[in-house]
Amino acid sequence: MTLRIEDLPKEELFGQGNGGCKACGAAIAGRQAMKVLGERTIITIPASCMATLGGNNQKTAWKIPFYHTLFEMAPAVSSGIRAALEIQGVNDVNVVSWGGDAGSADIGFQALTGAAERNEHMIHVCYDNEMYMNTGGQQSSQTPLYALTSNDHIGKPVKKKNMLAIMEAHGLDYVASASIAYPFDLMEKFQNALANPGFSYIHILAPCYRGWQIPGEKTIEFARLAVESGLWELFEVKKGVRTRTHEPSLIPVADYLLPQGRFKNISKKAVEEIQTSITKYYGRGDK
Amino acid sequence: MSTTLLTGSEAAAYGAKLAKIEVIAYYPITPAFPAMERVSKFIQDGELKANFVRVESDHSALAATLGASLAGARAFTVTNSQGLLYMTEVCYHTAGLRQPVVMACANRALSAPHSRFPEQGDAVSQGANGWIQLFCENNQEVLDNTIQAFKIAETVKLPVLVNYEGYVQSHTLEEVVIPDQEKVNAFLPLVRFKTLDVENPQGVNTVTSPDFYMDYKFRQNEAMNEAVKVIGEVAETYGQEFGRNWSGLIETYKMDGAEHALVCMGSMVSEARLAVDELRSQGKKVGLVKVRAWRPFPVEALRASLKKVNKVTVFDKNIVYGMGGALGTEVRGALYGQASLNVNSYIVGLGGRKFGLNEIKQVIELSEKTVKQDVISEWFGL
Repeated sequence: MTLRIEDLPKEELFGQGNGGCKACGAAIAGRQAMKVLGERTIITIPASCMATLGGNNQKTAWKIPFYHTLFEMAPAVSSGIRAALEIQGVNDVNVVSWGGDAGSADIGFQALTGAAERNEHMIHVCYDNEMYMNTGGQQSSQTPLYALTSNDHIGKPVKKKNMLAIMEAHGLDYVASASIAYPFDLMEKFQNALANPGFSYIHILAPCYRGWQIPGEKTIEFARLAVESGLWELFEVKKGVRTRTHEPSLIPVADYLLPQGRFKNISKKAVEEIQTSITKYYGRGDK
Repeated sequence: MSTTLLTGSEAAAYGAKLAKIEVIAYYPITPAFPAMERVSKFIQDGELKANFVRVESDHSALAATLGASLAGARAFTVTNSQGLLYMTEVCYHTAGLRQPVVMACANRALSAPHSRFPEQGDAVSQGANGWIQLFCENNQEVLDNTIQAFKIAETVKLPVLVNYEGYVQSHTLEEVVIPDQEKVNAFLPLVRFKTLDVENPQGVNTVTSPDFYMDYKFRQNEAMNEAVKVIGEVAETYGQEFGRNWSGLIETYKMDGAEHALVCMGSMVSEARLAVDELRSQGKKVGLVKVRAWRPFPVEALRASLKKVNKVTVFDKNIVYGMGGALGTEVRGALYGQASLNVNSYIVGLGGRKFGLNEIKQVIELSEKTVKQDVISEWFGL
């Protein structure tokens, strides 16, 4: 089933009055996801921009129960919520944990892998802006090779950890990548995750214009360039079957990398190497 | 009602079962793990309708327990020592969110060096985290306090830690009376506190500015102050219903006419009672004050009970480096300005070092010999 814009509810369950920067990629991801998740959803968000922008003092930008958890524990909290709902006979509530790259891939990974292995009915979302933006943009395991961060003025010397492969290795029935530049693809993936009775993992590339050093109005554009250059592949793995959900046009990777301030130190040779590996990857007909 | 032989960990499990917990999340640690194993068996045998969340760490154990509590379930967990320390930030967080979670703790020494033996240093390290802390002197009290802990927690909206010593209690069989389920149901009816509820959505733990934070903390501390009264009331009601009144924050034993008072908590209390009996039979005017609630600290109760003695001897099975034993320090603080009594405190039994009836009598003898100048955290038994 293909989603159409007229199928989406008009109501905004997240976003109004949120405290994010005006071009925040994470907030866009939240707004898109909530169109599918709906009002019978409980969301837990560990320390991150997304947690801090969701509520201030006695105000909240969420129209669903929203809990800003400690850094390492959102999926574990969600497990407890699921267990509590089940014992009360409540089976129609979606339970979602929503972490940044830190709260999912790094400090939050222990609770995430634990919850994934238990395969309880819930979704974990990693909204990935490829650095620790809530503390000013330090390097994370999701920062790509060569990118500058606030605590590294040379460029990351090692590759981005492949979280999708790691989560796929848990044997989950639903794992998907997504991008805020492809909202219907993203929303369909949330529908698929809701239909999975076990644990689902969705990893969304959500640019942060400040960290990436791009103009704020180009947040979506760079999210799109990441996909079309082949650097961020959109796919899903449903019960072990991998499908690419969007065929990229494979524009030169330089068109994505070079305009970003965070890649200003990247060498010509490095760009060529990346291009070669992308060309090889897509050229092998991995579909 | 039936009487059976139970270890302390089994007593905690029975208490949790009688309290009809609905969610338990747990990560195994020695010596608390038998409590979890027993609860799992209750669930699998169909004796308890609860969900067990098999988490990957102690941190997640309390996180999942907290999540369950926020979603309206009665939730319980068990840990000790390193597990408790690993949970520390979740402990503070749970108290700040005012969740009535109950946790049993089989007190054990902290690393390094590695030790799996009994000590109260783990619980003492959490003395500022916002949890009510009860110490149990025997396995019957472990069961009774676990039930009472839920009543207290749900009344004042604060989490409660139920302490019993590793091995000394966790792995030692004692006769325990198991109350009837119907009576416990009446004492502790199920009340749901739903914080995360799709019917009533709200933001939890939003970013809090200096305009609000301090007021939240004030109210949290007020709840702790309220617990001073509630712990006593719950003990009283429980005593009327079940025939065992463990007293409120403290219990005094043979304090009538006492000139010298022993103060301690946990399993040491049972043996201190024997020491008092023996010394009393020799005509010595010795009494005992059992500290049952470590948090809230029983300042007023201690001042009142120690009004007429001229010597106090405190046994500390913990060490706060650079300061001394925590109980001794706090007893001395509580008694400040009250008469001119001698408060002697001793560091004893760390990491399972023997501290039984004979050792208690030896410390009493040492303490008796002192005059005027307080003995502050002298190490005994090196």
